[in-house]
Amino acid sequence: MTSIAVEHGERRNPLAAVWSFVKRHVLVAYSVLFFAYLLLPIAVVIVFSFNNPPGKFNYTWNSFTWDNWRYWNGVPGIQSAVVLSLEIALIASLIATALGTLIALALVRYSFRGRASTNILIFLPLSTPEIVLGASLLTLFLHTTAVTFGFETILIAHIMFCISFAVVTVKARLVGFDRHLEEAAMDLGANEWRTFQKVTLPLIAPAILAALLLCFAISIDDFVVTYFNSGSSVTFPLFVWGAARIGAPPQVNVIGTAIFVIALTAALVNILVQMRRSKDAA
Amino acid sequence: MTDQLTRRQLLERAAVGGAAITFPGILAACGSSGSKASGGTTSVEQKLAKTLNFSNWTLYIDVDNKTKSHPSLDAFKKKTGTDVNYVEDINDNASFFGKIQGPLSRGQSINRDIIVLTDNDRYLGLMLRKGWAEKLDKAAIPNIKNLAPVQRHPNFDPNRDYTLPWQSGMTGIAYNDTLTDPVLNVTDLLENPKLKGKITVLNSMGDAMTIVMLANGDDPTKVTDKAWNDAFNRIKKAVDNKQIRQFTGNDYAPPLARGDLAAAMSWSGDIAQIGNKHIHWNVPTQGGALWTDNMLIPKGGNVYTASVYMNYVYDPKVQGLMEAGDPKRNITGIYYIPPVIGAKAWALKFNPAIANNPLIFPSSETLSKVKIFDNAALNNQKYLTQWQNLISG
Amino acid sequence: MNVFHRHQGATPYLLLLPGVLFLSVFFVVPLGFLAYQSLQSGNIDFGYAFTWQWSNYWDAIQNYRGEFIRSIEYAAIATFFALVASYPVAYWIAFRGGRWKNLLLLFIVAPFFVTYLIRTLAWETILSDHGFVVRTLQTLHLLGSNGRLLATGTAVVAGITYNFLPFMALPLYVSLEQIDARMIEAAEDLYASKWHAFWRVTFPLSLPGVVAGTLLTFIPAAGDFINAQLLGGPQNHMIGNVIQSKFLELTDYPAAAAMSFILMAGILVFVFLYARLVGTEQLTGTAA
Repeated sequence: MTSIAVEHGERRNPLAAVWSFVKRHVLVAYSVLFFAYLLLPIAVVIVFSFNNPPGKFNYTWNSFTWDNWRYWNGVPGIQSAVVLSLEIALIASLIATALGTLIALALVRYSFRGRASTNILIFLPLSTPEIVLGASLLTLFLHTTAVTFGFETILIAHIMFCISFAVVTVKARLVGFDRHLEEAAMDLGANEWRTFQKVTLPLIAPAILAALLLCFAISIDDFVVTYFNSGSSVTFPLFVWGAARIGAPPQVNVIGTAIFVIALTAALVNILVQMRRSKDAA
Repeated sequence: MTDQLTRRQLLERAAVGGAAITFPGILAACGSSGSKASGGTTSVEQKLAKTLNFSNWTLYIDVDNKTKSHPSLDAFKKKTGTDVNYVEDINDNASFFGKIQGPLSRGQSINRDIIVLTDNDRYLGLMLRKGWAEKLDKAAIPNIKNLAPVQRHPNFDPNRDYTLPWQSGMTGIAYNDTLTDPVLNVTDLLENPKLKGKITVLNSMGDAMTIVMLANGDDPTKVTDKAWNDAFNRIKKAVDNKQIRQFTGNDYAPPLARGDLAAAMSWSGDIAQIGNKHIHWNVPTQGGALWTDNMLIPKGGNVYTASVYMNYVYDPKVQGLMEAGDPKRNITGIYYIPPVIGAKAWALKFNPAIANNPLIFPSSETLSKVKIFDNAALNNQKYLTQWQNLISG
Repeated sequence: MNVFHRHQGATPYLLLLPGVLFLSVFFVVPLGFLAYQSLQSGNIDFGYAFTWQWSNYWDAIQNYRGEFIRSIEYAAIATFFALVASYPVAYWIAFRGGRWKNLLLLFIVAPFFVTYLIRTLAWETILSDHGFVVRTLQTLHLLGSNGRLLATGTAVVAGITYNFLPFMALPLYVSLEQIDARMIEAAEDLYASKWHAFWRVTFPLSLPGVVAGTLLTFIPAAGDFINAQLLGGPQNHMIGNVIQSKFLELTDYPAAAAMSFILMAGILVFVFLYARLVGTEQLTGTAA
């Protein structure tokens, strides 16, 4: 919705005209600067992924090269770290989204005893600092031999902190859901399960997908909780941490850029599709 | 050469590691090194594993500058068929120990056959005391006879049952000649106002306190409370007046290379591998620290394969090449102090310049200027807490 | 709004069971273990024993008072700057964004598709002593000729602010977007100046977003240790650094556990007071 009521009592004064020009565009200018600030480190990361470093350290621009991209797995350990991160992110996001969707359905559609407590239980992990989450899980794992430090512990940790995000995402969509569609389906003879299958599920599918993507992104990026519970396994963020201490190789920038580009593309496509749809609808 | 750590492989490795415990474990318990338990030998003990998982510090092995591979490891593979999965994930003893103590305290394997810890920190002794190290298969290490005499009976492992030195090294001061005049002693490092905020000190108590105690004229091999307090307060003063920019493990290397640091308390061999001719390293005028990094086999590691590897690196010819590198083949060596007798003779053949470098094959005069930190002080809870509080703010 | 099912019976509980069970075992129980550990004493050499060691808490507060205070300080400053910096942009997108709203939001969120650590390391490069930023500030005499940004509190706060910006910007946007522009028009029709209209109408209506954003930023920031580790020096350590080193390096689990709880308790107290002050009751709903 564009502006604004006509400014009352404004005289046709050149100074006032300039001032109102500035006022109108200061927000735009500021926002552009803001975006530039946000993107500055990203630009550095991307640019330096093409750098041919003079020696061991990738801090000064030397010359352009495709080699880092071509031999992205030339650095020992980076490939297994990326693969592990992807595996964990995939499995954790699937499980967390499934569990979270079920909880969201229960919370929104049913009134039951313990609803408030469940809400609190979901809210708590979001409001606990990651370091406490990581440390407490470590304490648990130190007191049991049922799980092995490494893949298992990392997976459990990731599912744990992703569930809340999944619940919140799906819940938001469910809250605004028009129940009349379901009622209509049932009036037309469908039983509850069929209604769920054919009406509800497709309609909340975007939210489930969003939750899946959100959990995936959070899992792939997680450092603190993983740091405490990884044993000697190495995920990509852990690899970056270790490599950075002695000079991260350009391949780290390559992987970072790759993840960024893939995520950005997916988001862009989604948005452009939405914009097109709303334009058509308009 | 990189293994793809899929979950299956991880579990597989843990299983192999677990199976390896049983046989050498039984042998160790029997206290004999040749007899076999009744019931026949399992083939696991005498068969080399397909992969050896080796965790080590960074910049600590020979490297081919062009292909970035490690010639000594490639040669080991050719000789024995075992692939070495070499992981440079140790940056300082404390944080590495932090990573592995979780699984080890639960009796779980950490998927490593060899790890390397320093003797001037409490963790090496701690690993042995808690029983988290496997006994070496000395029958597979005949080359142990090449171990330098001075290394044969350290107080944390008097019979070398669990550990073998990887390399020794010295702690001193490195400086960047484009940013400062030579920084050659502790007074300059900690108290020269021109260097304020441009120097770092090592976060390892054994290194930093040794050097400062020597600068104070005290003896770090027998730490007294007074000597401790004097050295501690001297460092604390430098922290409080912002002379010290940060406490580091070997992560002093990036800021030193970036030019954010003018000088850094650092380890002798690192500087050579960094390869920047503006960065110079020296033993401080009043003395530096001497330490030895030791290989050990963590619980669950494959004892036989690890022992065979250790035997391999104790071959003087192998050690000589690893140590000195070979400029003709564009190989950079380790450039630390080898524990193997006879390595120097071979190093002379490969790289005479390095072989004659007193930092790598130090004379007894140089060795007299570096001291080993008092082991008892390393486990003094009061000192430890004080030190931790200092370096973590 | 929502029609509750007529025959619910055990359905809600069945739906809840797997997720709630998982969270109970892997969130609630660990906290219990942590509490148990915080009252233990001992060390890794000789083991730990449960001895109702309340002194762990007291000692932690005494010895690390500085770090606790510093963490709150840094987190609060970072939150404030995040709020001030993102509000205009959120406003602009909400009211002037039009069809491009989602695209513009993407600009805010996209940088955070790059791994947290890599972003922070990039700042380490950008703020390096011989880098562009420091040299410019020195030319402008905003920084002494020997001055630096890295290994200072400034760099740490800057890093925290940057890394948590979307957590502030997005909730702000959501609540601003819901404001009906006609209300602002109405205020102006009633002779309010633009500024007045903003302060009296827009800002109060955006308060839920401000609250949510503040909480979502402050809470994780207070427990952060990565920015302090990479961008700060020994004088800039936050409580997260201490907890991390006590857990993983010193293996002083009881002290570390006690500190974790003090941190959690501090945050919960803050959240409670803040919620009271600002008056939003649906805290959990706001988070959604």
